[in-house]
Amino acid sequence: MSGTRVLVVDDEPQILRALETTLRGAGYEVETAPDAATALTRAAAKPPEAVILDLVLPDRSGVEVCRELRTWLQAPVLVLSAVGEERDKVEALDAGADDYVTKPFGIDELLARLRAALRRAAAPGEPVLEIGELTIDLDKRVVQRDGDVVSLTPHEFALLRYLAQNEGRLLTHRSILRQVWGPSYQSESHYLHVYVSQLRRKIEPDPTRPRYLLTEAGAGYRLVSPSLS
Amino acid sequence: MQRADRLAPLTGSVAAVVLVTAAIFLLRGGVPVLSLGSLYVLAVLPVAIFWGRIWAVLVAVASMLAFNFFFLAPVYTFRLSERSNWLALGVYLATAIAVSELAARARRRAAEAEQREQEEALLGELSIALLQGESLVDELPRIGAATGSVIGVEGARIELGKAPTQGIELRAGARLVGTLVLPDDADLNRPAVRRFLPALASLLAVGLDREELERQARAAEGLRTSDAVKTAILRAVSHDLRSPLTAIRVAAESLTSSSLRLSDEDRMRQLETLRLETRRLDRLVSNLLDFSRLEAEAARPHAELVAVDELIGQALASVDADPVPIDVELPVEIPLVEVDSVQVERALVNVLANAQRFAPVGTPVHVAVSAGDTEVVLRVANAGPAIEPHELDLVFEPFVRLAGDDDRDGTGLGLAIARGFAEANGGRVWAESPPDGGATFALAFPIAHVPARAAR
Repeated sequence: MSGTRVLVVDDEPQILRALETTLRGAGYEVETAPDAATALTRAAAKPPEAVILDLVLPDRSGVEVCRELRTWLQAPVLVLSAVGEERDKVEALDAGADDYVTKPFGIDELLARLRAALRRAAAPGEPVLEIGELTIDLDKRVVQRDGDVVSLTPHEFALLRYLAQNEGRLLTHRSILRQVWGPSYQSESHYLHVYVSQLRRKIEPDPTRPRYLLTEAGAGYRLVSPSLS
Repeated sequence: MQRADRLAPLTGSVAAVVLVTAAIFLLRGGVPVLSLGSLYVLAVLPVAIFWGRIWAVLVAVASMLAFNFFFLAPVYTFRLSERSNWLALGVYLATAIAVSELAARARRRAAEAEQREQEEALLGELSIALLQGESLVDELPRIGAATGSVIGVEGARIELGKAPTQGIELRAGARLVGTLVLPDDADLNRPAVRRFLPALASLLAVGLDREELERQARAAEGLRTSDAVKTAILRAVSHDLRSPLTAIRVAAESLTSSSLRLSDEDRMRQLETLRLETRRLDRLVSNLLDFSRLEAEAARPHAELVAVDELIGQALASVDADPVPIDVELPVEIPLVEVDSVQVERALVNVLANAQRFAPVGTPVHVAVSAGDTEVVLRVANAGPAIEPHELDLVFEPFVRLAGDDDRDGTGLGLAIARGFAEANGGRVWAESPPDGGATFALAFPIAHVPARAAR
């Protein structure tokens, strides 16, 4: 990861300074911005490979910055949120942010999320995905768990495929519904809960204690490899 | 009637008869004595006016007897020699009685008018008192006594609502407002009761309604402000405490992480962040504590005599002079004040820190002390943005951040705390926009005048 350019946007000078020093120590090349306007200018002048974005900025909200960045920047966006900002957090994820960490976060968590986001961004679209004991063949539409074929309905398969293609990434209810069922279903979250529970019964060793398909309360779902979590 | 009450009319009546008799005695040479009998009307009239009809009739009869006895032949007897004298005597008596009746009626009218005037004056006074916001409950004893005097009873009192004791109900329409409680042997002025009490009841009802509305409005206002304060404290805790915590956690973990490679300079930077952010947390916690203490009115000052320069010195020691220097200008005579030095220091520190935050880079904060006869004023000035006239008071409200205050260091509590502590110590704070620019915050405290022998 050495030399990967990260843009850190936060209105708190001390947080900015601590993050800049830490990320540099982890081998990243760091640029900072104290507000939305500076962030957008810096990103345009020298597109970063990842963005760490605070949701509360003096001039515009982090959600707006995220939405604007997404129109032309592919790089993953990691949102810094705080308790009490859950709605902003989900909005930012809907607007294209890749993940979030909640203040006050530890640096291990932050660095892990950042690495995962960068890895996803770098990974080419492979036809066969392997996540823990799950093997998902996207072309043949075949899913196996520990060598045994798991039979899925078309919607279950579409749901698993979207989650697996974004392994480790938090996907909001809205974005999953839009992707799997189509834009007119994006508020029908009960569909999603039903299908998630069906899918867990088929892929999880113990559906009551999910290890692959994790719930992020109030935000969405995340498919992870059990060995990593 | 009491014995004393009878003495005055009796004496007066006797005096009136004696006086008129004496006058006739003196006049009888020049005028026919029979026509002088009409002078007795002059005795009847004042008695009728002052003491009423009964006394007037008694005076009329006594006058005729005296006239007969002293002036009509045969004199010094009650017998009459001429028949025409009987007729004259009868006419005089009838005239005297008629006059006394008229006078007594006039007297009753006057008394009644006076009574009504008294009632109206009391109602007027009550309506002014109640509508000007005096507390009805506080006023009740006075209203009760005044009502008693209007209806001719001593020891009357008013109880709101349904009184347990017997009394006259005060009703405004169908609504029972209260009860007029009277002593058992009360001799009421019934017409006054009928006239006055309904008006009093309506007035009390209006007063009660007004108080109820006011109470509701106050309660709603209280709820609204306490809600706003809670929301603001939550926001302060959620954002203002978490930001330094985040910086501290990131800096501290980076210093102990084995996976990071930090240069010595980077380590110093992280340590500096730790130092600054822990100080900031400390300030925030102190401010939140001070504020909740002031809100709970638990900040009781322990006043002691202290010199103003000492207060300033203490405050300067608690303020970072690093980024923005503070210069102080003291008068030759340093006044003493009697305040809680810890609380006033907190007030000063917050005003100083606020002035530093808004001082443009490279400009100092200037503190000037001026002593008047009764007050010492500490002015803390900076060259920062002027405060709009309508915002001069607003800045002392908790959680108010003016436009352009994008500073993250404040909880929006500093100036509210300064005001709270200053006022708790008998002082005042205010903001000024000097004509030559910048912003000035002033704190004033009464000068403590020490008796000569107590002074060193």
